[in-house]
Amino acid sequence: MRRSSYLNLLITIIISLIAGGIIMILLGHNPFKVYAELFKGAFIGKFNIGNTLGRFVPILLTAIAFAISFKVSVFNAGVEGELYLGAIAAAWAGFAIQGLPKVLHILVCMIVATIVGALWAAVPGVLKAYYRVNEICTTLLLNYVAIFFTSYLVNNQLSSHTGIPQTPKVLPSATLTMILKPSKANIGIFITLAVLLFVYWLIHYTTLGYKIRSVGSNPFFSDYVGIGTKKIIVIGMLISGGIGGLAGGIESLGTYNRFLDGFSQFIAFDGMLASLIARNNIKMIFIIALFLASLKNGALGMERFTSVPKSIVDAIIAIFILLTSLEGLINIRRKVKTIEA
Amino acid sequence: MLEKIALIFNYSIIKTTIRYSTPILYAALGVLITQQANMLNVGVEGMMLSGAFTAIAVSYFTGNWFLALIAAIIVGIILAIIMAFAHLKYDADIIVVGVAINLLSLALTRFLLNNVLGASGFFRSPYIVPIPKVHFDFLTKNDVINTLFNNYSMFEIIGIMLVFIIWFLLFKTVWGLRVRSVGLFPQAAETAGINVYKLKFSTMIFSGLLGGMAGAHLSLGYSKLFVENMTGGKGLMGVAAMFFGGGDPIFTWVGCLIFGFTDSVGSRLQPYGLPSQFVLMFPYITTVLFLTLSMIRRIRRERIEKSSLK
Repeated sequence: MRRSSYLNLLITIIISLIAGGIIMILLGHNPFKVYAELFKGAFIGKFNIGNTLGRFVPILLTAIAFAISFKVSVFNAGVEGELYLGAIAAAWAGFAIQGLPKVLHILVCMIVATIVGALWAAVPGVLKAYYRVNEICTTLLLNYVAIFFTSYLVNNQLSSHTGIPQTPKVLPSATLTMILKPSKANIGIFITLAVLLFVYWLIHYTTLGYKIRSVGSNPFFSDYVGIGTKKIIVIGMLISGGIGGLAGGIESLGTYNRFLDGFSQFIAFDGMLASLIARNNIKMIFIIALFLASLKNGALGMERFTSVPKSIVDAIIAIFILLTSLEGLINIRRKVKTIEA
Repeated sequence: MLEKIALIFNYSIIKTTIRYSTPILYAALGVLITQQANMLNVGVEGMMLSGAFTAIAVSYFTGNWFLALIAAIIVGIILAIIMAFAHLKYDADIIVVGVAINLLSLALTRFLLNNVLGASGFFRSPYIVPIPKVHFDFLTKNDVINTLFNNYSMFEIIGIMLVFIIWFLLFKTVWGLRVRSVGLFPQAAETAGINVYKLKFSTMIFSGLLGGMAGAHLSLGYSKLFVENMTGGKGLMGVAAMFFGGGDPIFTWVGCLIFGFTDSVGSRLQPYGLPSQFVLMFPYITTVLFLTLSMIRRIRRERIEKSSLK
């Protein structure tokens, strides 16, 4: 990516933070103090940085999931649903299957979560590929279906019969080892980084990745040269859903050690935002996901020490997306260059 | 067994159908107008949510439902203006802007709910003045006619009227013709002297108005409370209804009625042992099925058109 886009991003971040600062001033707080607490809450201290990493994992994975579907020009807003289904599938495999050594058990749980997520994404994928059904609606609506379905399961068949709607705790052979205790970080971060590298390799160094990119840039040409566009769209959705399910699996096995009803406060949408902001460039996604994760985690610390509510951070993030989507807004350099040429 | 079916499917289901379908109808009409200008306004969900919150807040503070309605409409229009600017002037992708508006509404309403109204999760108060219902005394004599035609919220009646008004606006006025031509072939419209930018802007404003009204009806219409993320996908069901209707207001209304119907049937099935989560799932699954069916229909029609000898 050209350097000017990094500059644009920086300018947008600064403007959003200024906008947030203005809101804080209007509420009678000192924005510098608030931002200081935000930064502290995100990075200072083993607990804080561990939690930031813990939040970073699902945001990065869901961002990757969204980016892949975007590469086949499908707007997969259903990653949240895949997250839930993957999470409950992994949790079930975690407490229902017994007697496996740790590495094998975790592998089985992750595979189950990935398959479930992939199949769930295949539905809107097929509908889009073969019937041109608008995937934004289907994926967003199927999110709710998935959330309600897992809610039903966790309250009935898979319930642990304690007062809270959750599944029984996963067996110790299935939990992901914690690092940086007592925060929520776990070895899921290494799994995530591995997935990131794998996806990068897949998209840029394999035939399938080439086909995916081709279908995304020009589906008609791809059909013309014999790349089965429809099949590739479904495959893209399968991969996207699989990664979303995997993210859910990591949350279940690592962060919570069970499936909790309503555990995700729309994490997948944060991932989607990260991906949209980074223009689906896999390198940038890493940075933006980290940025979002630190904002969200820092917000908790900020709330505790300054009484500024968390939702301000959500509002800043939303302003941020709005500003980044304005491609024509901050193109000062490009405009100057074209005039000179 | 038959008495159970009779209990579920009696004539009062017509009323609940209309009741549940009205917010979706307003949203669908909002999306329809912009869709005729070839813009998919998925931000209608955010406009609804913001409108719902504004309506509740203003009604609580002023005790006047009409002011609340106007405020909700203004908020909807403001969001529409933001979307229009971002998309038309700065070339932002309309869907990204729509999603951004939805998230912004979610965040801002949650923030304002916590800080201005001092509540968490939901807000309910005896000071909230709802939108009045239309009650005719002479209808109370007959039980059946009373249930069918009496005690509708004002908005439900206006909603049905709006279907026909919008049909008229789109297909029988000059403005409507221009909107449709801009949607079908903007370059030709530009050559004919139509200001594409202004026209698209006006459709967005109209959409914001309807979105705000939809939100006002959702919170002030019959429930008189505000819940976080109260729209819960209803704006998207509106989008689906619009696709089902193929851009025609009357068929879109039929789609909304079908959604309302499944919603009412679902809630009636609850006391018979159907778990609540499945009831909640009903409208969403129906919507997806509907989208699929309407697209299958469209593709079949296109295939027939392509293969016909003309």
